[in-house]
Amino acid sequence: MSASERPGKGLSRLLTLAILIAVFALAPAALYLAGRSYLYQVANLIMIFALLSASMHLVTGVAGLLQLGHAAFYGVGAYTAALLATRFGLPFPATMPLAGLAAALVAFLVALPTMRLVSIYFAVATLGIGQMLYLIMLNWVDVTKGPNGILLFNALRIFNFDASKPAIAYYVVAVVTVVSILVIHRLSHSYYGNALRALREDDQCAEAMGVETVRLKIQSFTISGFFAGVAGALWAHTAGYVSPADFSFTVSILILSMVVLGGLGSLPGAIVGAVILIGLPELLREFKAGDYRNLIIGLVLFSVILFLPRGLIGEASALDLMRRQFAGAWRRAPDRRGGMGWR
Amino acid sequence: MTALLSIEGVTRRFGGLTAIDDVTASLRHHELVGLIGPNGAGKTTLFNLISGFTPLSAGAIYFKGRRIDRLKPFDIAHLGVGRTFQNLRIFPNMSVFDNVSVGAIGAQGVGVVSTLLRRRGPAEAISEQTWAALRAVGLEAQATELAANLSYGRRKYLEIARALALDPELLILDEPAAGLNDTETQGLADFIRRLHKGGLSILLVEHDMKLVMSICQRVVVLASGRKIADAPPAVVKADPAVLEAYLGVET
Ligand SMILES: Nc1ncnc2c1ncn2[C@@H]1O[C@H](COP(=O)(O)OP(=O)(O)OP(=O)(O)O)[C@@H](O)[C@H]1O
Ligand SMILES: [Mg+2]
Repeated sequence: MSASERPGKGLSRLLTLAILIAVFALAPAALYLAGRSYLYQVANLIMIFALLSASMHLVTGVAGLLQLGHAAFYGVGAYTAALLATRFGLPFPATMPLAGLAAALVAFLVALPTMRLVSIYFAVATLGIGQMLYLIMLNWVDVTKGPNGILLFNALRIFNFDASKPAIAYYVVAVVTVVSILVIHRLSHSYYGNALRALREDDQCAEAMGVETVRLKIQSFTISGFFAGVAGALWAHTAGYVSPADFSFTVSILILSMVVLGGLGSLPGAIVGAVILIGLPELLREFKAGDYRNLIIGLVLFSVILFLPRGLIGEASALDLMRRQFAGAWRRAPDRRGGMGWR
Repeated sequence: MTALLSIEGVTRRFGGLTAIDDVTASLRHHELVGLIGPNGAGKTTLFNLISGFTPLSAGAIYFKGRRIDRLKPFDIAHLGVGRTFQNLRIFPNMSVFDNVSVGAIGAQGVGVVSTLLRRRGPAEAISEQTWAALRAVGLEAQATELAANLSYGRRKYLEIARALALDPELLILDEPAAGLNDTETQGLADFIRRLHKGGLSILLVEHDMKLVMSICQRVVVLASGRKIADAPPAVVKADPAVLEAYLGVET
């Protein structure tokens, strides 16, 4: 090992190649042979949730911030894309980055005041803000059309090219998802990622080592929001319809379950978690088990936390993280300047 | 001779309890000073004040002539103060290398843009500093091991390596010998002496008297938050006030 290298790379190159082949060759071939457009929708949904799960991986799995409102940022992205497309006729290549930026902006504004909150209080704050955003989508009828949602005609248009045919749409979603996940991978598998991991392990101690903890938390939360927004744009343009129900608290828990099932801190784990938790209920749908979807997800989350705390391939225990969330909660700032729950 | 670290009339109260009571002390460049005192004397509290973990109630702390007592912990670390913790605080789910890299990351800083562009410069500086710290404590062979899997003694060195990766000017060690056996303590004594010879200034909190008396140039004694002695080891050993504080007897 050369003296200037970070140890522990290597294998991930091979894994990346395998995933690329699977996403760009094997899966489309299988979908083509199966020849059912419904399966394309499932594949798109899996990829969109893989991106959501990967973006939550950065903030929850790596940086250790329990994010309970991720679906709301997904929603901000989806509504931004839908509104830009329907009101201003913008094509997908324009709405996608703008959706990401809008979600990132909201995430940044949320992060500013909440990042100094201690662990569990922060988690509760994200839950509350997620609900607030959800209620805005539901009740700001003039803009969001409320529960009726927004319909996008000619949804996936790339300038003058109509990409809405299932096989083409698949590739659009695949390219955006893969590029986004590679960016997240670069962040989490680097010294930047190490700094975030140190926050998850012991943020006070990291600060004593010179790490600017609050800045990094705000950054990672914002970046995570950006990619949730991008996923939202993918959803708006491939489903052709957005409504508040797709961005509710249950969806946030679904994404969290993916990260926990895969294992905290593991990007491949987060992706596998998304494949399983979207794929499995779709498989069960054939057996009319769709109604039990949320029950199944709840059971998976519960039993993974209890019996498989590191998930499938995680690097940190979810049970530990939860425990520490609560442990920090009763500590009062020793100077009593801030009240309980603030640093 | 200007002091590297000077603590001037520092007081820290926790509610009704005065954990540090009007303490004035200093540490010169390249000095190895021991800080001792009975349990609850306020040693760890003083460390937390120096490293910015807790705010002062009164007084001031200067490092390299700069007032640091209002700074954030990471600012103080950037100025060149590295610390360890009494109750080991390693990052258990990270490798030994990644643990130590956090010190180097803290010193060098990391940015989103340079990470995304894979800039070689910053990453190489961090990894060189990390390897240097690992070599200094002799952990390079275990670099890829998970920190949680190290033995207790090795973890102590891991924590010191992480502080060294900051490339500090002042190293403050909170009871590094606690829980070590005699041979390990002897090894630690040699190691601290080597660090000191290498140019570091060190403030050492320790209950092991033999260790403190054998390696420190000067010893500061705290009792119930007050400084009761500040002299070379031989003088402190014979000081009746120190004996009283430790043994609780009138002399
Ligand atoms: N955050 C805090 N809140 C309230 N009291 C505290 C706090 N930290 C320390 N104290 C009190 O301050 C006093 C000094 O504690 P400190 O930990 O500094 O002692 P110490 O000299 O390090 O002792 P030891 O040798 O046992 O490590 C103790 O009475 C302790 O209970
Ligand atoms: Mg102590």
